[in-house]
Amino acid sequence: MRDLFQYVPGTSLLHRLNPVTKLLLTVVICVAAFITDRLIFLLGLLALDLLIGFIAGVPKKTVNILKGLLRIALFLFILQALLTRKGTPVFWIVTDTGLLTAGKVVLRLMVVCMPLALVLAVTKINDLANALVQVLHVPYPYAFTITTAIRFIPQFLSEMDDIMEAQTARGVEFDAAKGFRKLGMILPLCAPLLISSVRRSEQTAVAAEVRGFHLRTAVSGYKQYPFQWIDLGAVLFCCALIAAAILL
Amino acid sequence: MIDIQDLTFTYKDEPAPALSGISLTVTDGAFLGIIGPAGAGKTTLIRAVSGVIPHHYTGDYYGSVRVNGLDTVDTPLTDLSRLVGMVFQDVDSQIISSVVEDELLYGLENFGVPREEIPSRLEFALDRVGIADLRDRTIASLSGGQRQKVAIASVIALRPRVLVLDEPTGELDPRSSRQIFSLLKALNREYGITVVVVEQKIMLLCEFADMLAVLDQGKIVRQGKTREVLARSDELEALGVNCPRVTLLTRLLSERLGKSLPVSVSLDEAEKLVRGLMQ
Repeated sequence: MRDLFQYVPGTSLLHRLNPVTKLLLTVVICVAAFITDRLIFLLGLLALDLLIGFIAGVPKKTVNILKGLLRIALFLFILQALLTRKGTPVFWIVTDTGLLTAGKVVLRLMVVCMPLALVLAVTKINDLANALVQVLHVPYPYAFTITTAIRFIPQFLSEMDDIMEAQTARGVEFDAAKGFRKLGMILPLCAPLLISSVRRSEQTAVAAEVRGFHLRTAVSGYKQYPFQWIDLGAVLFCCALIAAAILL
Repeated sequence: MIDIQDLTFTYKDEPAPALSGISLTVTDGAFLGIIGPAGAGKTTLIRAVSGVIPHHYTGDYYGSVRVNGLDTVDTPLTDLSRLVGMVFQDVDSQIISSVVEDELLYGLENFGVPREEIPSRLEFALDRVGIADLRDRTIASLSGGQRQKVAIASVIALRPRVLVLDEPTGELDPRSSRQIFSLLKALNREYGITVVVVEQKIMLLCEFADMLAVLDQGKIVRQGKTREVLARSDELEALGVNCPRVTLLTRLLSERLGKSLPVSVSLDEAEKLVRGLMQ
């Protein structure tokens, strides 16, 4: 969880792609997942996600993301299977249509979520923001907001740890509690976390301003993000993927 | 370079002023150290010099602060920050990027430093702070001290006319602290950068700063050349400000021997003094 959105350095094909191309690939996979209505195609897309993860040289992370998603998927699957009323019953109140719909829903969820996490694993968040501003001319304050939000996640988690440690030192038994009881203990920590994060974001705003936040424009970036041949290849692949989703 | 006239500032919703009646002049190319007990208003003073007060922290503001002739109230913070580089006390909240190199690039890019000049500025800052090996590391993987150095490097890369630092060695070990102060002194000498630094490590401050200002309860209780301020080390101690041990030594010696001795601020001076007395 801690390093879910953390960049993993590397020189793989995916690391070398233009950040914008990577985003395009992500979007295309999502779109393809919603265009198609075939279970087998969705399974194929999931396999593609995994393949991307392995090519990017982050197999462990890919598997971890998948494991995390599976837990949510299982919950959704059961809910969906129980709630669908159409089709012939297979056992109890679960129908064949229900199982199929549920399968598609959770597969879509997994297919859509994985590439987003993977993009962040193979792209420095700054490169992503810079490329968005330079190439797509996204206004810088928006790019800054997104990057800062993602960058704050690990900071929040470590701050949460600090607060919990401080409470543990004063006799709160976090380690002994499980499930809902533990949740009940954690909820009151949200107030101090919120206060400290508001204070922190104010400080970050000042820090950004005194280093020329308001002067930044689309041409401010020192690093350039030119499109290369591999990007063209990736774009062609994206077109093929969309075509396949429509045709199959 | 910095001219503060009768500055009184009260943070919004606070009953007592954080600074009251501060007047302070820092000449171009000076190295000023600010000391004082906790809650004396050191950070507030630093914020006022950098323009963060009144642009970000609101409250009752009387008097004036001028930096290179610009009134900090009338000048936008962005314009002021071209002139004044600031290193904050809280290291984590001032880092904007997720990789060391990007953090240094941020200000350089924004202030429009020419493309061909950027690599040399980057290397200069990284080398002088001693973190060239950290260039491609992610911020999350760095220790507190390393992050502090990154924060300092990112401001030094901008080559401001004035450097303002709030406890820049708070998370550093003694050796790195000395290294940072040596660097500040070198920048001060070589490039004529005016340095204003709040620091608790009094020994370092006295060794490197030409001028000292002692704050207590929002007022400047003593200011002047380092040596002159240290001459009244007994008064400083009454305020809760530690004095360097060598200064203490000279004071105790002069009391014990019943004659006035010159104040020593470094070990070398103290050694010379003691050797002279022994003969």
